[in-house]
Amino acid sequence: MLFFSYFKDLVGQEVTVELKNDLAIRGTLHSVDQYLNIKLENTRVVDQDKYPHMLSVRNCFIRGSVVRYVQLPPDGVDVDLLHDAARREARGG
Amino acid sequence: MVVGLREFTLRTEDGSGKPVLDESNGEELKQVQPSVAIVLGNRPVESPGTLYITSRKIIWLSDVDMSKGYAVDFLSISLHAVSRDPEAYSSPCIYTQIDVEEDEDESDTESTEVLDLPKIREMRLVPSDSSQLDTLFDVFCECAELNPEPVEEEEENGDSWVFGADQMDVRGGGEEDAEWQMSQSPTSVIGHTNGDEGLAQPMLELQINDQRFEDAEEMAHDSESKDHH
Repeated sequence: MLFFSYFKDLVGQEVTVELKNDLAIRGTLHSVDQYLNIKLENTRVVDQDKYPHMLSVRNCFIRGSVVRYVQLPPDGVDVDLLHDAARREARGG
Repeated sequence: MVVGLREFTLRTEDGSGKPVLDESNGEELKQVQPSVAIVLGNRPVESPGTLYITSRKIIWLSDVDMSKGYAVDFLSISLHAVSRDPEAYSSPCIYTQIDVEEDEDESDTESTEVLDLPKIREMRLVPSDSSQLDTLFDVFCECAELNPEPVEEEEENGDSWVFGADQMDVRGGGEEDAEWQMSQSPTSVIGHTNGDEGLAQPMLELQINDQRFEDAEEMAHDSESKDHH
């Protein structure tokens, strides 16, 4: 649940979602659910030469299980808050 | 686990041409969209057809060829999106990417002429009424969320397997084995029909006795109060 609440705080920010099939999509995080399914808006494909057909897509729903990485904006990480949350999670609280 | 796209030809026999759903396992129809064309990978468009969105999967059935249809589970759909740019595809459509089994010679599979459904990585659904795209997108989202990865279930199975092993260890001792049987057997005796009837009879008698007793007490009270006045 740590990642779910963490990503919820990032809603509205610009992120890059890298899929396990190497496709990387940049866009505004619209929503995330408990399965870490991600909805992006104003998307654009990072490697447009490789995936020209994805150019047209403006919003998309990405299945949580196919996400490899989510690249965050540098100022989107509150390190202290994340530390605390990770400690609480590790204690099972 | 990854199934990908597959043929689907199971239609109900009532003449409606609707797909047969796995209703006993809770599969239900969420949306029907008539007049939808389908494009698999780089293959030519196929139409006309009807799109059925269930709580489990997407089914496209041809309107003209009753033996033609495709299905893909939401579990296999990596992403879906609304595509409106005519440069990407001539008509506005729902664009989906399908998770396929990784293959070493994957690069040239899509270009081959033979239709190999489990290798199809992209599917476009083109409704003739493009104003329905946003609705379809939302239904896709809703149904995708109904189909999380079955990982947790596997973990639970793993836990219960460990738990089962523990139980076996506990029951390993001879004494505890006897206890286990003891606790089992009285339950089955009580559950027996004859035992029930035997118990119910005295209970009824007891209640009748109680009532009489209460009545008698009340009457005693009544007579007492009458005496006072």
